[in-house]
Amino acid sequence: MDFQNRNNTANKFVCPSDRQLALRAKLRAGWSSSKTSEPLRPEEQEAIISVIRRNEEIEIAERQRVGRLVERVEKIKQHAVERGPNCCRLCGDTFGLLRPHRIICEDCRQSVCTKCSVDINIRYHTSERTREIWLCRICSETREMWKKSGAWFFKGLPRYDTPRSASATPTPTPTPGGMASMAGRDWSCPVASFTIHFRFSQGPVQSAKCKVGHSYAMPANESRSLSKLSRTQNSTLVRSPVQSFDPFLFCQFPTIIAQSHRPSECPDYDSISLTNGSAVAQLRRESSSLRRGSVSSSWSISESSGSGNSGTQSQSQSQSQSQSQYTQAQQQHCRDPLLGWLEIAISYRENFHSLDCTMVRARDLPAMDASGLTDPYCKLNIITPEALTKYTRWQRTKTVHKTRNPEFNETLQFVGVEPEELGNSLLYVALFDDDKYGHDFLGAAKVCLSTVHSTSQYRISVPLGVEDQYSSAAEMAQEWPNGKILISLCYNTKRRALVVNVKQCINLMAMDNNGSSDPFVKLQLKPDAHKNKKHKTSVKWRTLNPIYNEEFYFEASPHDLNKEMLIVTVWDKDLGKSNDFLGSLQLGAQSKGERLQQWHDCIRLPDHFHEKWHCLAPDNPAH
Amino acid sequence: MASGGDPKWQKDAADQNFDYMFKLLIIGNSSVGKTSFLFRYADDSFTSAFVSTVGIDFKVKTVFRHDKRVKLQIWDTAGQERYRTITTAYYRGAMGFILMYDVTNEDSFNSVQDWVTQIKTYSWDNAQVILVGNKCDMEDQRVISFERGRQLADQLGVEFFETSAKENVNVKAVFERLVDIICDKMSESLDADPTLVGGAQKGQRLTDQPQGTPNANCNC
Repeated sequence: MDFQNRNNTANKFVCPSDRQLALRAKLRAGWSSSKTSEPLRPEEQEAIISVIRRNEEIEIAERQRVGRLVERVEKIKQHAVERGPNCCRLCGDTFGLLRPHRIICEDCRQSVCTKCSVDINIRYHTSERTREIWLCRICSETREMWKKSGAWFFKGLPRYDTPRSASATPTPTPTPGGMASMAGRDWSCPVASFTIHFRFSQGPVQSAKCKVGHSYAMPANESRSLSKLSRTQNSTLVRSPVQSFDPFLFCQFPTIIAQSHRPSECPDYDSISLTNGSAVAQLRRESSSLRRGSVSSSWSISESSGSGNSGTQSQSQSQSQSQSQYTQAQQQHCRDPLLGWLEIAISYRENFHSLDCTMVRARDLPAMDASGLTDPYCKLNIITPEALTKYTRWQRTKTVHKTRNPEFNETLQFVGVEPEELGNSLLYVALFDDDKYGHDFLGAAKVCLSTVHSTSQYRISVPLGVEDQYSSAAEMAQEWPNGKILISLCYNTKRRALVVNVKQCINLMAMDNNGSSDPFVKLQLKPDAHKNKKHKTSVKWRTLNPIYNEEFYFEASPHDLNKEMLIVTVWDKDLGKSNDFLGSLQLGAQSKGERLQQWHDCIRLPDHFHEKWHCLAPDNPAH
Repeated sequence: MASGGDPKWQKDAADQNFDYMFKLLIIGNSSVGKTSFLFRYADDSFTSAFVSTVGIDFKVKTVFRHDKRVKLQIWDTAGQERYRTITTAYYRGAMGFILMYDVTNEDSFNSVQDWVTQIKTYSWDNAQVILVGNKCDMEDQRVISFERGRQLADQLGVEFFETSAKENVNVKAVFERLVDIICDKMSESLDADPTLVGGAQKGQRLTDQPQGTPNANCNC
């Protein structure tokens, strides 16, 4: 009643006709326009509407373009490995002295390798300023997307259509004249209130739809990836050889896992070993996956409640995102230790102060050559409570060739181990792949010796973990009398040639009477039917650490490279008599470990230099 | 409006082969030469006949600048007061403004301050502005000296050009300069606040939404 009265008295505002409303809706100029003294004439309206239509075409194309930009970045993100701080965020390569150089991305502060990062030079055109920064590929692409989409200006991504679902996104719409906000004010008009209703109910639905489109923030995908996660866990359990051992071994197993990783790196396992100390490990595994299951259900609850309320929705979305990152991290932790398993038997003879460690067998070691095989051997040492290696000389087993499941059955003795030492020392075992040109790390395990008694033999199966300071110490302890060589490879797609940059050598053998050598490097790409794929560097006189930095081109198709082998030989130049051989290296698809990786990287990522140190072998491949 | 059926325009508008898209807006009093300025730049044509722009119009031109293809959507607005509600609705999407006055028209120069207020009210705060004194070819009728224009620009903290759409003086320079300024602003904004990129990736926050500025179209 009161309503009507007010309407009658408030004659100043007259609700416009449908046609006017439709026009104004298209103009995005609000609903009431009583300020305009003189309404737009029909021909003016037509003219303006035609402009708006033209603009709409551009806007649609623009939304699709931004959608494609967004999708591109999402794809790169999906392919990122995200394996932890010691590995490249994108390709998962671990860093180290002989490994890819670590670069910290300016934006995300995560570590990436040189291959997966971009050196960006920011130029300012109005002032003569420049700035150079390193970004990982994700962040550099994200920056590009922000520039190209105009998000940098609007401080958020504009509305976009993803190429697949073509559904509008819930992102703020910085398009001229945000209609929602304007419509939201004008409660007096029934059409306007309808719009509001439409907007509000549509918002969350749209957002849910778009979330399904991408894989990292989506509730639906999350649960799927979660189920995948638990499935992979199950499969690893089935695959692991532990199942064939007796339950007694199982009891030891979680404690060992906890020890074999630094606590900061593996919070999940730690919590497992802390919560229940004596239950069977498999049970624990199951309970932990159950725990994860319950987490997943709580997510779905938070998601559904979020979609009910548009106010808290974005919050819960970001929450779920952090949770999904957490699962990813968890997934990494679950995957990381699966470098294989090692079975050990340890016994202690008190009267001899001798610790006998039998390397029984290993299972599921990483493959190191193209045919998927490995030549593993073990290196052992004891780690004292001061976190130092007890023996300077590492014990090593014989190499078992061409297998990922070696039967070592070799007992190594540590003499001089006091009984009281057992309580606080660790046995450290690192597995390496044996190769002429350098030994590549396969996996490492630490076993607590406190459970070792003199009376009985202690048998245990341990999962192998990632490398750490001790494994690199073990690797360094390897002697390479022939020295090392730094080689950089690049496949140049323009010239269709393999570019080999011989950078430098260190610790070469001294061949001349003056305690030095006059080294030069010969390169040959084999098979070389016409004997024309040969190059050699200049001679560096009287040095054991020559620096060359010389580039050579070998014409070859990427396909050919899969069958070819680069033979590198280092020689000592002698005048008047034949040159002395200093060392050799073979790089190619038949190589192993790091050599194979460098070769593959070079083919897979052309037009980039891939640099690695390699050890020189004492035998001459020409003979 | 004449550009609707122009094949060249259509080619430019449909062209998706570009890196950045900048939306620019030309504002200023009626008859200062906004439409002529745009036609000179986009079509390299000029006509002395005055046709008042109805509401709003735009042209698209793709330029190559600093190894990047930049697609410019240049909005030409009506200077007349009666279209103000329509034109101000387009301020929000504009990254750059060309604020134009007529060197032969004192009123248009005096209105510059009002236009700046309009920009401040309706546009995003990081929008870039260039002050342009048009019709500099009509020296005999000039009432606003170059000095006065430059002083005002200094006061406002914006760049200044005197142009002539008729004689094609400085037209291209104004657009190129504006593109440069926006490009720099772009590098700067991402460089100064990298968390912006990372932060907004983690879902949109409600606070990121454009805050409802006081809107002229709303009578509440």
